[in-house]
Amino acid sequence: MKFVSVTVLMLCLIAGCADQGKSPDGGGGAVELTYWPAPNPQEIQLADTLVRRWNALHPECLVRMQPIPVSQSTEEVLLAAIAGGTTPDICSNIQPGALYDFVRARGLLPLDQFPGFDSIALERAGAELLQTFRSPDGHIYQLPWKSNPVMMFYNKRLLREAGIAGPPRTFNEYLAAGRRVTKDTTGDGQTDIWMGERDIRPIWWQRLFDFYPFYIAASSGRTLFANGQLALDERAAAEVLAFFRTCYGEGIYPRTFFQAGDPFLLEMKATHFSGPWEVATIRKFAPTMDYGVAPLPVPDDVTGPVYTYGDFKNIAIFSTSQHPEKAWEFVRYLVRAEHDLLLLQLCDQIPVRTDLVTNPLFAGYFRANPVMAEFGRQLQHIRGIDTAPDLKEIFDTLSQIYEASSVYGSTEPQDAVREIVRRTNIIVEWNR
Amino acid sequence: MKTFFRYIILLVGAVIFAYPFLWMIAGSFKPELEIRGFGLWSEQFSLHSYHTVLTKIPIGRALLNSLIVSGATTASVILFGSMVGYALSRLTFVGGKALYTLILITMMIPFQIVLIPQYILMVKLGWTDSYLGLVAPTMMSAFSIILFRQFFMAIPQGLIDAARLDGASDLTILFRVIWPLSRPVMVTVAILTFMTSWNEVLWPLLVVRERSLMTMPQIVTIFTTGGEAEAQLGSLLAAATLLALPIIVAYAFFQKYFIESMATTGLKG
Amino acid sequence: MNGRASGLRDRFRRSNRSAYGLVLPYVIFFLAFVAYPLTFSLLLVFHRWNIVTPMEWIGLKNFTRLLEDPLFYASLLNTLVFLLLHIPLQVVVALGFALLLNSRIPGRGFFRAVYFMPVVVSGVVVTILWQQLYSFDNGLLNGMLRAVGIGPVPWLVDPRIAMPAIALMATWKNVGIYIVLFLAGLQTIPRELYDAASVDGATPARQFLHITLPMLNPTMVVIVVLSTIGGFSLFIEPYVLTGGGPMQSTLSGMLYIYNQGFYFNHMGYAATLGFVYAMIILLIVLLQRRLIGREQTA
Repeated sequence: MKFVSVTVLMLCLIAGCADQGKSPDGGGGAVELTYWPAPNPQEIQLADTLVRRWNALHPECLVRMQPIPVSQSTEEVLLAAIAGGTTPDICSNIQPGALYDFVRARGLLPLDQFPGFDSIALERAGAELLQTFRSPDGHIYQLPWKSNPVMMFYNKRLLREAGIAGPPRTFNEYLAAGRRVTKDTTGDGQTDIWMGERDIRPIWWQRLFDFYPFYIAASSGRTLFANGQLALDERAAAEVLAFFRTCYGEGIYPRTFFQAGDPFLLEMKATHFSGPWEVATIRKFAPTMDYGVAPLPVPDDVTGPVYTYGDFKNIAIFSTSQHPEKAWEFVRYLVRAEHDLLLLQLCDQIPVRTDLVTNPLFAGYFRANPVMAEFGRQLQHIRGIDTAPDLKEIFDTLSQIYEASSVYGSTEPQDAVREIVRRTNIIVEWNR
Repeated sequence: MKTFFRYIILLVGAVIFAYPFLWMIAGSFKPELEIRGFGLWSEQFSLHSYHTVLTKIPIGRALLNSLIVSGATTASVILFGSMVGYALSRLTFVGGKALYTLILITMMIPFQIVLIPQYILMVKLGWTDSYLGLVAPTMMSAFSIILFRQFFMAIPQGLIDAARLDGASDLTILFRVIWPLSRPVMVTVAILTFMTSWNEVLWPLLVVRERSLMTMPQIVTIFTTGGEAEAQLGSLLAAATLLALPIIVAYAFFQKYFIESMATTGLKG
Repeated sequence: MNGRASGLRDRFRRSNRSAYGLVLPYVIFFLAFVAYPLTFSLLLVFHRWNIVTPMEWIGLKNFTRLLEDPLFYASLLNTLVFLLLHIPLQVVVALGFALLLNSRIPGRGFFRAVYFMPVVVSGVVVTILWQQLYSFDNGLLNGMLRAVGIGPVPWLVDPRIAMPAIALMATWKNVGIYIVLFLAGLQTIPRELYDAASVDGATPARQFLHITLPMLNPTMVVIVVLSTIGGFSLFIEPYVLTGGGPMQSTLSGMLYIYNQGFYFNHMGYAATLGFVYAMIILLIVLLQRRLIGREQTA
């Protein structure tokens, strides 16, 4: 595999060198790269700004930005593009979970072959986190760019009114708080205030906001896989399942899903597990809410910093690129510190940098946005999704087992964990 | 006395089968808060829900798509079905018996096994997101061939011989002699095919992603499951009413034919 | 020149050549949309494929996976639950109404038309309607129950009740056809049989058991077979109402194929599922015909 990718890279480099003299539209020797950012308006604006500056500085290597169509998921669009040979040179909306398919389709170039990759990648992610981004063949095909850590938003007023001083830090504290917060305030027989609420439908990505982040926290930073094999921290998984089981079992969480509006924004729910994007939503729809952000609760016997799940978006270079070394230059440009600051300022998104809270460049922003600072601090302890096959189906299976064990209480957590291992291994085995 | 009880039960039945539709239609005109109730009446009937539906989803376009797709399918099934039905019933040729057996077997093939490969074929031919992709796999129907064959077997040979003497080709015989005599079976096949094609959702969901090409049931399904309705019950009911309307109108006029056509599916077993 | 070959040539010479022109379009259609997909399906079950990347040969892995797949078994169980409720209910209700309608009472046509209406309307409409009937908090059915003091029923939320609820809905939708079929069947029973039985002193109940039911046997077979095939093809109802839940209790075979093929892009595994379900359906239909009785062929 390594030999093949090196050969591919060599051929690309040779082709790239041969192409230096020509330009695709015959415009006098300029190289043109296509770059696909994420389709949301803020990132398009950021991309536009960055591309303009680059083009001004590098007229011999112009970058053309093309937004991805909003109606489809980026993964679908990219897979179709790989199949049709219509991929861009660079894309900055790469989800680690989809990476396996892209690599298997030979759509991406291994980035660790490029000069300077190692130092940049380590500076951004740190060794432990970077390791989780390595593909089964040993290469790294994505450069960590930004991440949205999942933390606990909590409504200070609702907690205060229930006699609780601060955000709960452990499972027991959370459950004790829940027993006091979830209640029927109007006396009509229906609960009005809930400690928390989750969508009970077993939709695979919903687990990214309950089971998975809690598991990462409870296992102090373990993910599901290691070295291409399932390496579940079974004790942590069982504790998380048991925790949610108690929430549903004791009626602290409702077993239905709200159809009429967002309960956290309507201040009917005291805790909400979400990422930095929620800040803008709250500012817009519930500007007077007195809220805070804290790390996720963990089992009582877990010590040390609290980890969580970070929804990463990374950068990749496609194998169809005619000028991969130029593309790499552009990628290095994208991840410069001053552009990370723009990412914070324009998009309220957190760049992945180990020096995020220590670098004075960002201090001003964090002073002005203390809630974002909370996320910035959390960034030092996050994990993403592993690069393993069929993650969607694995999470789907996980969702079904979670539904049976935690939401409906029909399976014991220990049995449920065994079931998770068994069925995940069936899927992994089938993909071998 | 017995008749009285008979009527009571029949009326209760009628209520069970008809009331939900009446409730749906009434609800589509009611303001959101009043819909949950049982009653059909409201002080504040309005077209608000319809307005929401018409602006949020291209349902008019979907109606057109359904008409095109179902119309084309029906025309094709009748044309080719009657051609084969005629050949199998009135002409002798080597392979005729084998073909008939093949068609009988085709009717037994469960859709489950051809679903995926047919979809892949559409992808390979590039017929996804196109009318062709929607119509092609159902443009001929083994069941209709059987129906046509059966009906044509009863046509007097004399008429056909007379046409032959006049030098008519088989196609001419089919169109000029047989078709005019085949109104009952044509109506049956037309109604069955049109209705099945109109109500089909699974296939369009696979083959079409482009909103401007979606059929009417498909777009209402996506509206319901996709959250665009934002839990506005009135909009859901309005969309459902719009979807039901064409068939109910056709049913109101041709109800006898509908019922008789569907009864012949009993012969299929 | 051997006899058989000359026989074939003779028959060919005597054939209406024009017939070939008439059937050619269908033959092409058959090859393209029936024969090719079937053959391709038999190939696909031995591969892993997501359409984008090349097909990978994996031998019997799809089948071994299927045998270990709890969702496959769940879908079979769910279909069984559905059929065990749907078919008897269908038969009883349809026969009941058919008997009531089987006399020259005024308004008969009206009733028949009303009972038949749910049949012609799209399954999507029926599903949306029943979604509102079954809604836990403020659905019509729970509203009615609350009015008489019974607590709300978790129609689509309780794993034990969800599939029966869908079976009820399917019965409501389809019973019209079977009423019509039973009516047609009832009308083929010669009056003389009943007259003769009355003369012999048989009670209406006995007449029903010994004349009506046996004579309706062919219709019953048709109903059972059609309902079974319909039960295995259940898709839009679970897709819209429950997404296959709660706890996979409404996952139907067709929905599972759809999920595997189009949600996870496992074309090979989805084709395998389709193949196995098809075999099961054929087997069950054959068994039903043999066990329940012979029906009249058209």
